[in-house]
Amino acid sequence: MAYVNGGNVKKGQFIIHNGAPNAVIKSDFVSPGKGSAFTRAKLRNLQTGSVIDFTFKTTEKVELADVESVEMQFIYSTGAEYVFMNPRSYEQFEIPADVVGEDNKFLKEEMTVYVQLYNGQPIGIFMPQKVVLEVTEAEDAVAGDRANAPKKPVIVETGAEVMAPLFVKKGDKLLIDTATGEYVSRAN
Amino acid sequence: MKTWEQLRDQPSLRDHYATRSHVVKAIRDFFWQKGFLEVETPQLVNLPSMEPNLEVFETDLRDNYKHSYRAFLTSSPEFAMKKLLAGGYKNIFQICKSYRNEEGWSSRHNPEFTILEWYRTDSDYTAIMQDCEQMFRFIGKALGKTKVLFHGVEYDLTQKWERISVAEAFQLYSEIDTDTLLSHDLLKKAAEQKGYSLDDENTWEEAFNQIFLNEIEPHLGRTKPTILYDYPVAMASLSRRKKDDPRFAERFEFYIAGLELGNAFSELTDWQEQLARLEADRAEKEILGRTLYDVDRDFIDALESGVEDCAGIAVGVDRVAMFFMNADTIQDTLFFPAIEMWKPKEE
Repeated sequence: MAYVNGGNVKKGQFIIHNGAPNAVIKSDFVSPGKGSAFTRAKLRNLQTGSVIDFTFKTTEKVELADVESVEMQFIYSTGAEYVFMNPRSYEQFEIPADVVGEDNKFLKEEMTVYVQLYNGQPIGIFMPQKVVLEVTEAEDAVAGDRANAPKKPVIVETGAEVMAPLFVKKGDKLLIDTATGEYVSRAN
Repeated sequence: MKTWEQLRDQPSLRDHYATRSHVVKAIRDFFWQKGFLEVETPQLVNLPSMEPNLEVFETDLRDNYKHSYRAFLTSSPEFAMKKLLAGGYKNIFQICKSYRNEEGWSSRHNPEFTILEWYRTDSDYTAIMQDCEQMFRFIGKALGKTKVLFHGVEYDLTQKWERISVAEAFQLYSEIDTDTLLSHDLLKKAAEQKGYSLDDENTWEEAFNQIFLNEIEPHLGRTKPTILYDYPVAMASLSRRKKDDPRFAERFEFYIAGLELGNAFSELTDWQEQLARLEADRAEKEILGRTLYDVDRDFIDALESGVEDCAGIAVGVDRVAMFFMNADTIQDTLFFPAIEMWKPKEE
Protein backbone atom coordinates (compact mmCIF):
# COMPACT_ATOMS: atom_id res chain seq x y z
CA MET A 1 0.00 0.00 0.00
CA ALA A 2 1.18 3.47 -0.81
CA TYR A 3 1.19 6.28 1.74
CA VAL A 4 1.68 10.00 1.69
CA ASN A 5 2.52 12.33 4.56
CA GLY A 6 -0.34 14.47 5.86
CA GLY A 7 1.68 17.50 4.76
CA ASN A 8 1.60 16.27 1.15
CA VAL A 9 -2.12 15.60 0.91
CA LYS A 10 -3.17 17.53 -2.19
CA LYS A 11 -6.13 18.27 -4.39
CA GLY A 12 -6.55 15.58 -7.05
CA GLN A 13 -5.35 12.72 -4.83
CA PHE A 14 -7.46 9.83 -3.65
CA ILE A 15 -6.96 8.63 -0.11
CA ILE A 16 -8.43 6.14 2.31
CA HIS A 17 -10.04 7.95 5.22
CA ASN A 18 -11.96 6.08 7.96
CA GLY A 19 -11.78 3.00 5.75
CA ALA A 20 -13.46 4.62 2.74
CA PRO A 21 -11.99 6.00 -0.49
CA ASN A 22 -12.10 9.80 -0.63
CA ALA A 23 -11.19 12.34 -3.29
CA VAL A 24 -9.18 15.28 -1.99
CA ILE A 25 -10.98 18.29 -3.45
CA LYS A 26 -9.09 21.00 -1.60
CA SER A 27 -6.13 21.19 0.73
CA ASP A 28 -4.69 24.02 2.73
CA PHE A 29 -1.84 24.64 5.13
CA VAL A 30 -2.83 25.70 8.65
CA SER A 31 -0.75 26.42 11.72
CA PRO A 32 -2.98 27.18 14.67
CA GLY A 33 -1.76 29.91 17.01
CA LYS A 34 1.89 29.56 16.11
CA GLY A 35 1.53 25.82 16.80
CA SER A 36 2.73 22.92 14.71
CA ALA A 37 1.74 22.55 11.06
CA PHE A 38 -1.41 20.86 9.81
CA THR A 39 -3.10 20.25 6.46
CA ARG A 40 -6.81 20.97 6.27
CA ALA A 41 -8.38 18.95 3.49
CA LYS A 42 -11.84 18.83 1.98
CA LEU A 43 -12.66 15.21 1.25
CA ARG A 44 -15.45 13.75 -0.85
CA ASN A 45 -16.37 10.24 0.15
CA LEU A 46 -16.54 8.27 -3.10
CA GLN A 47 -19.07 5.82 -1.71
CA THR A 48 -21.55 8.20 -0.10
CA GLY A 49 -20.73 11.45 -1.91
CA SER A 50 -20.66 13.34 1.38
CA VAL A 51 -18.07 16.08 1.78
CA ILE A 52 -16.21 16.66 5.03
CA ASP A 53 -13.30 18.75 6.26
CA PHE A 54 -10.51 16.90 7.99
CA THR A 55 -7.28 18.27 9.39
CA PHE A 56 -4.20 16.04 9.22
CA LYS A 57 -0.99 16.40 11.15
CA THR A 58 1.67 17.05 8.52
CA THR A 59 3.63 14.10 9.88
CA GLU A 60 0.90 11.47 9.90
CA LYS A 61 0.77 8.68 7.33
CA VAL A 62 -2.21 8.79 5.02
CA GLU A 63 -3.05 5.80 2.85
CA LEU A 64 -3.48 6.46 -0.86
CA ALA A 65 -6.42 4.78 -2.58
CA ASP A 66 -5.53 2.59 -5.53
CA VAL A 67 -7.11 4.61 -8.32
CA GLU A 68 -6.37 4.01 -11.97
CA SER A 69 -6.65 6.59 -14.73
CA VAL A 70 -8.01 5.39 -18.08
CA GLU A 71 -8.18 7.36 -21.31
CA MET A 72 -11.77 7.60 -22.52
CA GLN A 73 -13.83 9.41 -25.09
CA PHE A 74 -16.90 11.45 -24.15
CA ILE A 75 -19.90 10.29 -26.20
CA TYR A 76 -23.01 12.06 -24.95
CA SER A 77 -24.81 13.36 -21.89
CA THR A 78 -28.37 12.81 -20.71
CA GLY A 79 -28.05 15.69 -18.29
CA ALA A 80 -28.00 13.46 -15.22
CA GLU A 81 -25.34 11.17 -16.64
CA TYR A 82 -22.30 11.48 -18.84
CA VAL A 83 -21.46 8.53 -21.04
CA PHE A 84 -17.82 7.76 -21.85
CA MET A 85 -16.27 4.99 -23.90
CA ASN A 86 -12.95 3.24 -23.61
CA PRO A 87 -11.62 3.50 -27.21
CA ARG A 88 -9.67 0.28 -26.83
CA SER A 89 -12.26 -2.03 -25.28
CA TYR A 90 -15.35 -0.08 -26.50
CA GLU A 91 -16.65 -0.53 -22.98
CA GLN A 92 -19.02 2.27 -21.93
CA PHE A 93 -19.12 4.01 -18.54
CA GLU A 94 -21.94 6.15 -17.20
CA ILE A 95 -20.74 8.83 -14.84
CA PRO A 96 -23.17 10.82 -12.69
CA ALA A 97 -23.16 14.57 -13.38
CA ASP A 98 -21.97 15.44 -9.87
CA VAL A 99 -18.85 13.32 -10.33
CA VAL A 100 -18.06 15.17 -13.56
CA GLY A 101 -18.74 18.39 -11.69
CA GLU A 102 -17.79 21.77 -13.14
CA ASP A 103 -15.60 20.16 -15.76
CA ASN A 104 -18.74 19.57 -17.81
CA LYS A 105 -18.77 23.13 -19.10
CA PHE A 106 -15.87 22.51 -21.50
CA LEU A 107 -16.72 18.91 -22.29
CA LYS A 108 -17.46 18.32 -25.98
CA GLU A 109 -18.46 15.16 -27.77
CA GLU A 110 -15.52 12.99 -28.91
CA MET A 111 -13.16 14.80 -26.54
CA THR A 112 -10.63 12.52 -24.86
CA VAL A 113 -10.29 12.77 -21.06
CA TYR A 114 -8.88 10.63 -18.28
CA VAL A 115 -11.50 8.83 -16.21
CA GLN A 116 -10.48 7.65 -12.77
CA LEU A 117 -11.56 4.23 -11.69
CA TYR A 118 -11.61 2.79 -8.19
CA ASN A 119 -12.45 -0.91 -8.02
CA GLY A 120 -13.70 -0.56 -11.59
CA GLN A 121 -16.13 2.26 -10.68
CA PRO A 122 -15.70 5.69 -12.34
CA ILE A 123 -15.13 8.30 -9.64
CA GLY A 124 -13.94 11.38 -11.48
CA ILE A 125 -12.50 12.82 -14.66
CA PHE A 126 -9.40 14.80 -15.57
CA MET A 127 -9.87 17.25 -18.41
CA PRO A 128 -7.10 17.99 -20.92
CA GLN A 129 -5.26 21.11 -19.78
CA LYS A 130 -6.33 23.06 -22.84
CA VAL A 131 -9.31 22.55 -25.16
CA VAL A 132 -10.31 24.10 -28.49
CA LEU A 133 -13.94 25.25 -28.70
CA GLU A 134 -15.86 27.18 -31.31
CA VAL A 135 -17.56 30.47 -30.50
CA THR A 136 -21.32 30.21 -31.07
CA GLU A 137 -22.33 33.63 -29.76
CA ALA A 138 -20.34 36.85 -29.66
CA GLU A 139 -21.54 40.42 -29.73
CA ASP A 140 -19.77 42.83 -32.00
CA ALA A 141 -17.12 44.75 -30.19
CA VAL A 142 -17.97 48.30 -29.24
CA ALA A 143 -15.32 50.60 -30.59
CA GLY A 144 -13.21 52.62 -28.21
CA ASP A 145 -12.93 52.46 -24.41
CA ARG A 146 -10.14 49.92 -24.70
CA ALA A 147 -8.66 50.81 -21.38
CA ASN A 148 -11.77 49.88 -19.45
CA ALA A 149 -13.13 46.87 -21.31
CA PRO A 150 -10.62 45.04 -23.47
CA LYS A 151 -12.59 41.81 -22.97
CA LYS A 152 -16.15 40.70 -23.59
CA PRO A 153 -18.14 37.58 -22.74
CA VAL A 154 -18.63 35.07 -25.56
CA ILE A 155 -20.46 31.73 -25.56
CA VAL A 156 -18.67 28.63 -26.85
CA GLU A 157 -20.22 25.50 -28.35
CA THR A 158 -20.55 23.70 -25.01
CA GLY A 159 -22.61 26.60 -23.68
CA ALA A 160 -19.92 27.94 -21.38
CA GLU A 161 -19.24 31.66 -21.12
CA VAL A 162 -15.63 32.78 -21.58
CA MET A 163 -14.10 36.26 -21.39
CA ALA A 164 -12.38 36.86 -24.72
CA PRO A 165 -10.67 39.81 -26.42
CA LEU A 166 -12.84 42.23 -28.41
CA PHE A 167 -11.68 40.94 -31.80
CA VAL A 168 -13.14 37.46 -31.24
CA LYS A 169 -16.06 36.68 -33.58
CA LYS A 170 -18.73 34.02 -33.90
CA GLY A 171 -17.18 30.97 -35.61
CA ASP A 172 -13.69 31.57 -34.20
CA LYS A 173 -12.01 28.63 -32.49
CA LEU A 174 -10.58 29.46 -29.08
CA LEU A 175 -7.93 27.73 -27.01
CA ILE A 176 -9.19 27.65 -23.41
CA ASP A 177 -7.39 26.70 -20.20
CA THR A 178 -9.73 24.24 -18.45
CA ALA A 179 -8.20 24.80 -15.02
CA THR A 180 -8.85 28.55 -14.95
CA GLY A 181 -11.62 28.74 -17.55
CA GLU A 182 -9.69 31.54 -19.25
CA TYR A 183 -9.13 32.34 -22.91
CA VAL A 184 -5.55 31.55 -24.00
CA SER A 185 -5.49 32.37 -27.70
CA ARG A 186 -7.29 31.93 -31.00
CA ALA A 187 -6.85 28.52 -32.62
CA ASN A 188 -8.24 29.26 -36.09
CA MET B 1 -4.50 36.66 -15.31
CA LYS B 2 -2.50 38.82 -12.89
CA THR B 3 -4.41 40.96 -10.43
CA TRP B 4 -3.27 44.20 -12.09
CA GLU B 5 -4.62 42.94 -15.39
CA GLN B 6 -7.95 42.08 -13.81
CA LEU B 7 -8.06 45.56 -12.30
CA ARG B 8 -7.46 47.02 -15.75
CA ASP B 9 -10.24 44.92 -17.28
CA GLN B 10 -12.84 45.27 -14.53
CA PRO B 11 -13.19 48.79 -13.12
CA SER B 12 -15.54 47.61 -10.35
CA LEU B 13 -12.76 45.43 -8.99
CA ARG B 14 -10.74 48.55 -8.15
CA ASP B 15 -13.33 49.63 -5.56
CA HIS B 16 -13.39 46.11 -4.16
CA TYR B 17 -9.63 46.04 -3.63
CA ALA B 18 -9.67 49.62 -2.31
CA THR B 19 -11.76 48.30 0.63
CA ARG B 20 -8.50 46.99 2.02
CA SER B 21 -6.97 50.47 1.99
CA HIS B 22 -10.03 51.88 3.77
CA VAL B 23 -9.80 49.11 6.38
CA VAL B 24 -6.15 49.96 7.09
CA LYS B 25 -6.91 53.68 7.29
CA ALA B 26 -9.82 53.00 9.69
CA ILE B 27 -7.55 50.91 11.94
CA ARG B 28 -5.04 53.80 12.08
CA ASP B 29 -7.78 56.35 12.78
CA PHE B 30 -9.23 54.13 15.51
CA PHE B 31 -5.99 53.88 17.47
CA TRP B 32 -4.95 57.51 17.00
CA GLN B 33 -8.41 58.57 18.25
CA LYS B 34 -8.01 56.32 21.29
CA GLY B 35 -4.74 58.04 22.14
CA PHE B 36 -2.38 55.28 21.02
CA LEU B 37 0.96 56.26 19.49
CA GLU B 38 1.84 54.70 16.16
CA VAL B 39 5.41 53.37 16.20
CA GLU B 40 7.71 51.84 13.62
CA THR B 41 10.17 49.10 14.50
CA PRO B 42 12.56 47.32 12.14
CA GLN B 43 11.55 44.37 10.00
CA LEU B 44 15.24 43.56 9.41
CA VAL B 45 16.80 42.53 12.73
CA ASN B 46 19.82 40.80 14.23
CA LEU B 47 17.70 38.48 16.40
CA PRO B 48 14.07 37.61 15.68
CA SER B 49 11.53 36.14 18.10
CA MET B 50 11.62 32.47 19.07
CA GLU B 51 8.30 30.70 18.31
CA PRO B 52 9.38 27.05 17.85
CA ASN B 53 6.95 26.35 15.02
CA LEU B 54 7.69 29.46 12.98
CA GLU B 55 10.55 29.34 10.51
CA VAL B 56 12.32 32.62 9.81
CA PHE B 57 13.63 34.23 6.64
CA GLU B 58 17.36 34.61 7.08
CA THR B 59 19.47 36.89 4.94
CA ASP B 60 23.02 38.15 4.86
CA LEU B 61 23.75 41.75 5.78
CA ARG B 62 27.06 43.10 4.46
CA ASP B 63 28.80 46.34 5.33
CA ASN B 64 30.95 48.44 3.02
CA TYR B 65 33.98 46.29 3.89
CA LYS B 66 31.95 43.24 2.85
CA HIS B 67 31.90 41.95 6.42
CA SER B 68 28.94 39.65 6.72
CA TYR B 69 26.32 39.67 9.52
CA ARG B 70 23.37 37.34 10.09
CA ALA B 71 20.11 39.19 9.58
CA PHE B 72 16.48 38.09 9.78
CA LEU B 73 13.06 39.32 8.73
CA THR B 74 10.73 39.56 11.73
CA SER B 75 7.80 37.19 12.16
CA SER B 76 6.19 39.85 14.37
CA PRO B 77 7.28 43.19 15.86
CA GLU B 78 6.57 41.96 19.39
CA PHE B 79 10.01 42.10 21.01
CA ALA B 80 10.77 45.58 19.70
CA MET B 81 7.41 46.93 20.81
CA LYS B 82 7.88 45.57 24.32
CA LYS B 83 11.29 47.23 24.43
CA LEU B 84 9.47 50.50 23.72
CA LEU B 85 7.16 49.77 26.67
CA ALA B 86 10.31 49.35 28.77
CA GLY B 87 11.37 52.69 27.30
CA GLY B 88 8.34 54.23 28.95
CA TYR B 89 5.67 54.45 26.26
CA LYS B 90 2.17 53.54 27.45
CA ASN B 91 -0.23 52.63 24.67
CA ILE B 92 1.34 51.94 21.28
CA PHE B 93 0.35 50.33 17.99
CA GLN B 94 1.98 49.36 14.74
CA ILE B 95 0.89 48.13 11.30
CA CYS B 96 3.77 46.49 9.48
CA LYS B 97 4.83 43.65 7.22
CA SER B 98 5.86 40.37 8.84
CA TYR B 99 7.39 37.25 7.37
CA ARG B 100 7.01 33.53 7.97
CA ASN B 101 8.88 30.92 6.00
CA GLU B 102 7.89 27.32 5.25
CA GLU B 103 4.17 28.08 5.43
CA GLY B 104 3.79 28.41 1.66
CA TRP B 105 0.79 30.21 0.30
CA SER B 106 -2.74 29.04 0.92
CA SER B 107 -6.18 30.44 1.54
CA ARG B 108 -5.05 31.69 4.96
CA HIS B 109 -1.32 32.28 4.57
CA ASN B 110 0.98 34.44 2.51
CA PRO B 111 4.74 34.40 3.28
CA GLU B 112 4.70 38.20 3.66
CA PHE B 113 1.66 39.48 5.49
CA THR B 114 0.48 42.59 7.30
CA ILE B 115 0.29 42.47 11.06
CA LEU B 116 -1.34 44.88 13.48
CA GLU B 117 -0.04 44.86 17.03
CA TRP B 118 -1.10 47.01 19.92
CA TYR B 119 -0.09 47.11 23.57
CA ARG B 120 -1.73 48.70 26.60
CA THR B 121 -0.12 49.25 29.95
CA ASP B 122 -2.09 49.04 33.19
CA SER B 123 -4.53 46.58 31.68
CA ASP B 124 -5.05 42.95 31.01
CA TYR B 125 -6.44 40.96 28.11
CA THR B 126 -10.05 41.91 28.88
CA ALA B 127 -9.30 45.49 27.76
CA ILE B 128 -7.87 44.09 24.51
CA MET B 129 -11.08 42.09 23.97
CA GLN B 130 -13.04 45.34 24.15
CA ASP B 131 -10.60 47.04 21.77
CA CYS B 132 -11.21 44.28 19.23
CA GLU B 133 -14.99 44.62 19.35
CA GLN B 134 -14.79 48.41 19.16
CA MET B 135 -12.25 48.35 16.33
CA PHE B 136 -14.46 46.14 14.16
CA ARG B 137 -17.43 48.44 14.83
CA PHE B 138 -15.25 51.44 13.94
CA ILE B 139 -14.01 49.89 10.68
CA GLY B 140 -17.59 48.95 9.77
CA LYS B 141 -18.70 52.53 10.42
CA ALA B 142 -15.88 53.89 8.26
CA LEU B 143 -17.08 51.62 5.44
CA GLY B 144 -20.72 52.60 6.10
CA LYS B 145 -21.69 49.18 7.42
CA THR B 146 -23.18 47.85 10.64
CA LYS B 147 -23.61 44.39 9.11
CA VAL B 148 -21.02 42.49 7.12
CA LEU B 149 -21.66 39.47 4.92
CA PHE B 150 -18.80 36.99 5.18
CA HIS B 151 -18.77 33.45 3.80
CA GLY B 152 -22.55 33.33 3.69
CA VAL B 153 -23.24 34.66 7.19
CA GLU B 154 -24.34 38.16 8.08
CA TYR B 155 -22.38 39.52 11.05
CA ASP B 156 -24.01 42.29 13.05
CA LEU B 157 -21.13 44.45 14.29
CA THR B 158 -23.28 46.18 16.89
CA GLN B 159 -23.67 42.91 18.85
CA LYS B 160 -21.40 41.78 21.63
CA TRP B 161 -19.06 38.97 20.63
CA GLU B 162 -19.37 35.43 21.97
CA ARG B 163 -16.88 34.51 24.69
CA ILE B 164 -15.95 30.92 25.52
CA SER B 165 -12.94 29.51 27.37
CA VAL B 166 -10.73 26.81 25.86
CA ALA B 167 -11.78 24.38 28.62
CA GLU B 168 -15.48 25.11 28.02
CA ALA B 169 -15.03 24.67 24.25
CA PHE B 170 -13.35 21.26 24.66
CA GLN B 171 -16.14 20.17 26.98
CA LEU B 172 -18.91 21.52 24.76
CA TYR B 173 -17.73 20.45 21.31
CA SER B 174 -15.51 17.45 22.09
CA GLU B 175 -16.71 16.19 25.49
CA ILE B 176 -13.22 16.43 26.91
CA ASP B 177 -13.02 17.53 30.53
CA THR B 178 -10.36 19.81 31.93
CA ASP B 179 -8.33 17.09 33.66
CA THR B 180 -8.12 15.14 30.39
CA LEU B 181 -7.34 18.29 28.43
CA LEU B 182 -4.37 19.17 30.62
CA SER B 183 -2.90 15.67 30.90
CA HIS B 184 -0.39 14.59 28.25
CA ASP B 185 -1.35 10.91 28.46
CA LEU B 186 -5.09 11.32 28.90
CA LEU B 187 -5.45 13.78 26.01
CA LYS B 188 -3.49 11.57 23.64
CA LYS B 189 -5.57 8.59 24.70
CA ALA B 190 -8.80 10.57 24.18
CA ALA B 191 -7.61 11.65 20.72
CA GLU B 192 -6.83 8.05 19.79
CA GLN B 193 -10.28 6.95 20.96
CA LYS B 194 -11.72 9.58 18.63
CA GLY B 195 -9.90 7.89 15.76
CA TYR B 196 -6.96 10.25 15.24
CA SER B 197 -3.72 8.54 14.37
CA LEU B 198 -1.13 9.33 17.02
CA ASP B 199 2.10 7.67 18.04
CA ASP B 200 4.76 8.17 20.72
CA GLU B 201 6.42 10.88 18.64
CA ASN B 202 3.31 13.05 18.66
CA THR B 203 3.13 15.74 21.28
CA TRP B 204 0.33 16.90 23.55
CA GLU B 205 0.18 20.08 21.48
CA GLU B 206 -0.44 18.08 18.29
CA ALA B 207 -3.22 16.11 19.97
CA PHE B 208 -4.69 19.38 21.29
CA ASN B 209 -4.59 20.99 17.87
CA GLN B 210 -5.89 18.01 15.92
CA ILE B 211 -8.96 17.85 18.13
CA PHE B 212 -9.22 21.62 18.12
CA LEU B 213 -8.95 21.99 14.35
CA ASN B 214 -11.32 19.15 13.54
CA GLU B 215 -13.96 19.51 16.22
CA ILE B 216 -13.84 22.98 17.73
CA GLU B 217 -12.49 25.62 15.39
CA PRO B 218 -15.19 25.04 12.73
CA HIS B 219 -17.81 26.09 15.32
CA LEU B 220 -16.09 29.33 16.26
CA GLY B 221 -17.43 32.63 14.97
CA ARG B 222 -20.33 31.01 13.12
CA THR B 223 -23.02 33.56 13.93
CA LYS B 224 -21.00 36.26 15.66
CA PRO B 225 -17.26 36.68 16.24
CA THR B 226 -16.02 34.39 19.02
CA ILE B 227 -13.35 35.13 21.61
CA LEU B 228 -11.69 31.90 22.77
CA TYR B 229 -9.85 32.61 26.03
CA ASP B 230 -7.67 31.09 28.76
CA TYR B 231 -5.25 28.65 27.12
CA PRO B 232 -3.37 25.88 28.88
CA VAL B 233 -0.08 27.39 30.08
CA ALA B 234 1.88 25.10 27.75
CA MET B 235 0.33 26.95 24.80
CA ALA B 236 1.07 30.48 25.92
CA SER B 237 4.78 31.06 26.15
CA LEU B 238 4.59 34.86 26.24
CA SER B 239 1.60 35.26 28.52
CA ARG B 240 0.86 35.64 32.21
CA ARG B 241 -0.70 32.85 34.25
CA LYS B 242 -4.17 33.34 35.64
CA LYS B 243 -4.00 34.25 39.30
CA ASP B 244 -7.00 32.12 40.28
CA ASP B 245 -6.06 29.10 38.13
CA PRO B 246 -2.35 28.89 37.27
CA ARG B 247 -2.95 25.88 34.99
CA PHE B 248 -4.20 28.41 32.44
CA ALA B 249 -2.71 31.57 30.97
CA GLU B 250 -4.40 34.84 30.03
CA ARG B 251 -4.37 34.40 26.30
CA PHE B 252 -7.20 34.72 23.79
CA GLU B 253 -7.75 34.35 20.09
CA PHE B 254 -10.73 35.61 18.15
CA TYR B 255 -12.47 33.89 15.28
CA ILE B 256 -14.92 34.73 12.54
CA ALA B 257 -16.35 31.90 10.43
CA GLY B 258 -13.70 29.49 11.73
CA LEU B 259 -10.93 31.90 10.72
CA GLU B 260 -8.48 33.01 13.41
CA LEU B 261 -7.88 36.75 13.19
CA GLY B 262 -5.95 37.66 16.33
CA ASN B 263 -3.96 36.31 19.24
CA ALA B 264 -3.69 38.26 22.52
CA PHE B 265 -1.98 37.96 25.87
CA SER B 266 -1.73 39.53 29.24
CA GLU B 267 1.98 39.85 28.68
CA LEU B 268 4.55 38.00 30.70
CA THR B 269 6.82 40.62 32.28
CA ASP B 270 8.83 38.38 34.62
CA TRP B 271 12.22 38.34 32.89
CA GLN B 272 13.44 35.15 34.52
CA GLU B 273 10.38 33.14 33.52
CA GLN B 274 10.52 34.70 30.05
CA LEU B 275 14.18 33.76 29.64
CA ALA B 276 13.48 30.19 30.74
CA ARG B 277 10.58 29.87 28.28
CA LEU B 278 12.64 31.31 25.40
CA GLU B 279 15.50 28.91 26.14
CA ALA B 280 12.98 26.06 26.08
CA ASP B 281 11.57 27.35 22.78
CA ARG B 282 15.09 27.47 21.36
CA ALA B 283 15.70 23.86 22.41
CA GLU B 284 12.46 22.88 20.68
CA LYS B 285 13.53 24.72 17.53
CA GLU B 286 16.68 22.63 17.55
CA ILE B 287 14.68 19.39 17.82
CA LEU B 288 12.42 20.52 14.97
CA GLY B 289 15.46 21.29 12.80
CA ARG B 290 14.67 24.98 12.43
CA THR B 291 17.11 27.83 11.87
CA LEU B 292 18.86 28.52 15.17
CA TYR B 293 19.94 31.81 16.70
CA ASP B 294 20.42 33.20 20.19
CA VAL B 295 17.76 34.47 22.55
CA ASP B 296 17.55 38.25 22.23
CA ARG B 297 19.18 39.26 25.54
CA ASP B 298 18.34 42.88 24.85
CA PHE B 299 14.66 41.89 25.13
CA ILE B 300 15.33 40.12 28.43
CA ASP B 301 17.29 43.19 29.63
CA ALA B 302 14.31 45.36 28.75
CA LEU B 303 11.98 43.17 30.83
CA GLU B 304 14.50 43.12 33.68
CA SER B 305 14.69 46.90 33.70
CA GLY B 306 10.95 46.83 34.37
CA VAL B 307 7.90 46.81 32.14
CA GLU B 308 4.53 47.77 33.57
CA ASP B 309 1.80 45.15 33.56
CA CYS B 310 0.51 45.18 30.04
CA ALA B 311 -1.50 43.31 27.47
CA GLY B 312 -1.08 43.10 23.73
CA ILE B 313 -2.34 41.47 20.57
CA ALA B 314 -1.28 40.56 17.06
CA VAL B 315 -4.03 40.75 14.42
CA GLY B 316 -3.74 39.56 10.82
CA VAL B 317 -4.68 42.65 8.82
CA ASP B 318 -5.03 40.65 5.60
CA ARG B 319 -7.60 38.48 7.35
CA VAL B 320 -9.46 41.53 8.66
CA ALA B 321 -9.50 42.76 5.06
CA MET B 322 -10.77 39.32 3.97
CA PHE B 323 -13.71 39.73 6.34
CA PHE B 324 -14.69 43.20 5.18
CA MET B 325 -14.12 42.27 1.50
CA ASN B 326 -15.97 38.93 1.89
CA ALA B 327 -12.93 37.40 0.18
CA ASP B 328 -12.54 33.63 -0.09
CA THR B 329 -8.80 33.66 0.46
CA ILE B 330 -6.08 35.90 1.80
CA GLN B 331 -4.63 35.98 -1.73
CA ASP B 332 -7.80 37.80 -2.85
CA THR B 333 -6.98 40.76 -0.59
CA LEU B 334 -3.50 41.35 -2.05
CA PHE B 335 -2.58 43.28 -5.20
CA PHE B 336 0.46 41.04 -5.60
CA PRO B 337 -0.18 37.71 -3.87
CA ALA B 338 2.83 35.44 -3.56
CA ILE B 339 1.04 32.88 -5.71
CA GLU B 340 1.37 35.24 -8.70
CA MET B 341 5.13 35.52 -8.20
CA TRP B 342 6.00 31.92 -7.43
CA LYS B 343 4.19 28.95 -8.89
CA PRO B 344 3.94 26.06 -6.42
CA LYS B 345 6.30 23.21 -7.34
CA GLU B 346 4.96 19.69 -7.64
CA GLU B 347 6.45 16.95 -5.52
